[in-house]
Amino acid sequence: MTTGEWIRGTSVYRSVIRHGLEDTNRNRSLIIFENLFLHVHPVKVRERSLRFTHTFWLGGITLASMLVLIATGILLMFYYHPSVPQAYRDMKELQYVVDDGVFLRNLHRWAAHLMVFTAVLHMLRVFYHRAYRPPRQFNWVIGVVLLLVTLLLSYTGYLLPWDQLAFWGVSVGTNMAKQAPLIGERIRFFLLGGNIVSENALLRFYVLHCVVLPVALLLLVSIHIWRVRKDGGVQGPPEEGRQ
Amino acid sequence: MPLRRLFALSSLAFLAVLAVSPVKNALRPYRSIQAQYKALGLARATSMKAASVYADRQIAIQQIWIPKFDNRVDRCTTCHLGVSDTVMAGAPEPFRMHVATYHTPGDFPRFGCTACHAGEGLATSKDDAHGTSPDSSAPMRPAAYMESGCGRCHQSETVDEAPTLSYGRATMAKAGCYACHAVRGHEDFRSDAPPFVSIASKTGGAWVEQWLADPKKVDPNATMPNFQLSKDDITELANYLFSLPVPPQLEQAVEQASAEPAGNSANGKVLFRESMCITCHTVDGKGNGSAPELNHIATRATRGWLIAFIRNPHAFNPKTKMPQYSFSDQDVRDLVAYFEDELRDFDAPKEILDPLRVNQTLADKGHELFKNYGCFSCHVGTERGGERFGPDLDGIGDRRASSLDFGKRTDLPHTLDAWLAAKISAPRSFADGLKMPKFSFDPEQRRAIVTALLSMSSAPVPEPYRYIPPQQASVVPAGQVGEIVDRYRCLSCHQFGSRGGDISTAPLTFEGSKVNRDWLVSYLMLPTSIRPLLPERMPIMKISKPEAEKLADAIETFYVDPSIPENPFAGRPAADADPKEGERLYTTLGCRSCHIIGSSGGYYGPPLTDTHTRLKPGWVYSYLMNPQKWRADIRCPNYGLTDTDALRLTAYLETLVAAPAAPTATAEQRSAR
Amino acid sequence: MSAPIELIESNDPVAVPWRVALMRRDSRPAVRESDEKYVMTFPHLIVREIIMFQLVVIGLSLAAIFFDAPLESIANPVETPNPAKAPWYFLGLQELLHYFPPVVAGVLMPALVVIGLVVIPYARVNLEAGPLWATHSRGKLASLTLVVLALSLLFGAFSCWPIVIPTLIIGAAMLAARNGEQASPWRRALWRVTLPEWIMTWFVVIAALLTIIGVFFRGPGWSWVWPWEQFRA
Repeated sequence: MTTGEWIRGTSVYRSVIRHGLEDTNRNRSLIIFENLFLHVHPVKVRERSLRFTHTFWLGGITLASMLVLIATGILLMFYYHPSVPQAYRDMKELQYVVDDGVFLRNLHRWAAHLMVFTAVLHMLRVFYHRAYRPPRQFNWVIGVVLLLVTLLLSYTGYLLPWDQLAFWGVSVGTNMAKQAPLIGERIRFFLLGGNIVSENALLRFYVLHCVVLPVALLLLVSIHIWRVRKDGGVQGPPEEGRQ
Repeated sequence: MPLRRLFALSSLAFLAVLAVSPVKNALRPYRSIQAQYKALGLARATSMKAASVYADRQIAIQQIWIPKFDNRVDRCTTCHLGVSDTVMAGAPEPFRMHVATYHTPGDFPRFGCTACHAGEGLATSKDDAHGTSPDSSAPMRPAAYMESGCGRCHQSETVDEAPTLSYGRATMAKAGCYACHAVRGHEDFRSDAPPFVSIASKTGGAWVEQWLADPKKVDPNATMPNFQLSKDDITELANYLFSLPVPPQLEQAVEQASAEPAGNSANGKVLFRESMCITCHTVDGKGNGSAPELNHIATRATRGWLIAFIRNPHAFNPKTKMPQYSFSDQDVRDLVAYFEDELRDFDAPKEILDPLRVNQTLADKGHELFKNYGCFSCHVGTERGGERFGPDLDGIGDRRASSLDFGKRTDLPHTLDAWLAAKISAPRSFADGLKMPKFSFDPEQRRAIVTALLSMSSAPVPEPYRYIPPQQASVVPAGQVGEIVDRYRCLSCHQFGSRGGDISTAPLTFEGSKVNRDWLVSYLMLPTSIRPLLPERMPIMKISKPEAEKLADAIETFYVDPSIPENPFAGRPAADADPKEGERLYTTLGCRSCHIIGSSGGYYGPPLTDTHTRLKPGWVYSYLMNPQKWRADIRCPNYGLTDTDALRLTAYLETLVAAPAAPTATAEQRSAR
Repeated sequence: MSAPIELIESNDPVAVPWRVALMRRDSRPAVRESDEKYVMTFPHLIVREIIMFQLVVIGLSLAAIFFDAPLESIANPVETPNPAKAPWYFLGLQELLHYFPPVVAGVLMPALVVIGLVVIPYARVNLEAGPLWATHSRGKLASLTLVVLALSLLFGAFSCWPIVIPTLIIGAAMLAARNGEQASPWRRALWRVTLPEWIMTWFVVIAALLTIIGVFFRGPGWSWVWPWEQFRA
């Protein structure tokens, strides 16, 4: 009996992993539906849906960049203080002293751009594949909201380095919000915690970026994916002759 | 199965890519630099104990953290490991020991590195730390402008041990930069430029046009910069200047003076020399140069104006540094006759002093130009807004190179210092339509000004680091004495406390403790040469006896240093006051290489022949104890004399009494120079 | 020996696992035979998902290794960069601000876009999804031509050429596609495009164009610069 076999024989192992190792369809099925995360998948999928052109993997890439963002974002939070001027200084410390600091920050930044970009492409793919038709109508609406949340996440994160780019990018953006009739000024004040981009705005954007919006995003993404499964899996290009 | 192979490949690539950054961390350059330092230290160490310090070194980021100084963190010593290591004196960079300065090596923990050198203190790699890219928010100070670092904390005009910075700040004030540019601490700056009120009665249109075209060409001492005006601009401005009304009492004074009979040129020449005008003015370049060149004075202003002006300069220009000499009416006529005979431009056209016939249209255009070029910034009195004409200079030393407009100057390196140097030597070369005039600074002045500009930070250093030398009281009494001081413009040359000019080497702050009252009265009435080496002398302003006495009494009363004893010998044994011993000391210390006693000695210091007549013993004693106490730049060496030695030397000098000299003889001697 | 057929009526599938379906002759349901091939999710889909994730991380890591995220000097409210640009995904909006009054570009247009996106799945025209020219009438041609021209004129009035030019080009393509049913495959593909697809394409092209102009072609004072022209704020 090898050590591996012994480990697999223990009751602890069997209490955790409840299926065997043999490559049987039963075990393959168990892998899927005994796992919280994998059971959004059916046990069997249409072979056609595995084709690259079926969805171009755009939703998947968006989700993958989201996971990268969550992982790097949590690590970055260990080094970040949402205060002036320490926020900017923390960027410098990431660059100069923190091991892998630059890599983490770069990864977070580029993943954020990728997520916005692929989310838009995903939406276009769904539109041109007419995947918004019943019963997926409401999931499209959730998708639109998700796109807005993604944009907001990216935008709130934009201020956090507290450099010139951040400050003026956010100033320009919030000045646009000011243009809304009647409530524009109020919206801006509410967003910034003041009339100018200041330390208050930094704190607000930080809380939005690290707590409020990620929680909203996770909830909505869960619903979005769950609904995809409920509505019969990913919908590829419309089939010929079937309207 | 290809999918499995793909999976294997992507997994390997995945791990490889994630390993890159940790590998980069492990290979940071500072690690190998610290290893080099260790090796160098072991090679240079002279004892086992010293070597063991290097052998035990751990490789780690080094930093100086100063929470009180903007929470500064300087990691420069991560690579510059030998800054305070005597073993590393003369070692190659980055390990060389820091040169000794006033602040180093003792103040490293207080200031860190970037307080003086700038640069990015947080960084741990060379390019980042030295800020070599134009985007860098904190490039290091170039060596040529190193003293700008001193100026961040030292905010006074003169900073001891930073001559370039002090020169730069002085040059900026003299050139009148603060008249157009707002700078913290110079809010009250006013230019010395004359108002225009009497220009139509002073000179002619042709002369004004010459002047506007290039002031320095007309007068090398001119402080007015060249506005690079076109011919039309010049005509219009001249018309505007001549359209300004002259105050009636000035016009009348000039008219009356021009009607007076001619003076005696020969007498005027003697008087001109005697009055020591070149203490401030120059004649053919000879003289101090802080006031206008006089070689063409008679071509510059009309006879009537010159006479009226010398009689009462303060009526024409309340801000002038020129004293009001107590000349007689005849004296002034003689003086101006001498100007007309000898101090004029014989090549100038006859009509140079003819008044300009004003064309009102041109004058109106000239008025627009006058406003457009901000002339009112310096020539106060006409019009002036609350704001400064030019842009603020606060924070100019912290501007990033990438935020500067280099415009047409593609030849310049993209650094702040290059931009500033180009800006002050050729301000209008960056774009068309710029208004800043061209100053003629020599390279040394340019370097000094750039140093001063680079010292202007956007935010002041924290309070404990700000250093402003203690201000000495600069009281000028009001009333009659104040009027006398104002009339003779003592402050143009002398300093009272922190106020006043620097033409005289004798500040008057403690003059009352220094000189005897009776000597002072006679000196004020007829000044003699005190330091033969200096070209600047106190001019003979013909101060009357009552005025001189009032002034001397005031100086005796107000300008005293309480730390100087009235009688240094009080309570001392008689042996301490032994002049014989003092004379011996005088010889052995070599005082005679600078000072004259009797007929022999050097010319650098003042003669001591009349010490008892001139100086108070308390002063002599205190001065001998520490010559630099009142002025840091005094050249007399501090011999570190003991109390007793200083007293004996004082006792010797107090035996020296001047033979009473005939005033006329002195005057003749001086005019013969 | 044959026992008589016993009929049991029940709703309990455990107790009675047999079903008989009866249907009338006129209500025959179209039962399609599906020849779709199904595969096990594990490993076929899961491994592909992991590879996809790894490729995303590899791509991002390479980007992170070779390109540093921008970091300028510390925020300084006094030193306004020229131009002050929003993040790239808002530069299309910022570009609009250059042409339209702030209320239109900053509020009205984004609001219209969001509302437009939300109603897509509920609009009848989207659900029918027939080719635009499947039904052909003079009125349709005339009204569509009118709409294209009206939009061009409207945006032309604000001299917003990045909208006018795509409007004209896509409008012309849309109108030209009407007789393409029997033509070359390429033209037939255009003929099959639905009206919502024409509109979405128009919107995407404009959004992309405005964003690209905002990112690469705007310099100090929002003036037009070429990307290769070096400009400094």
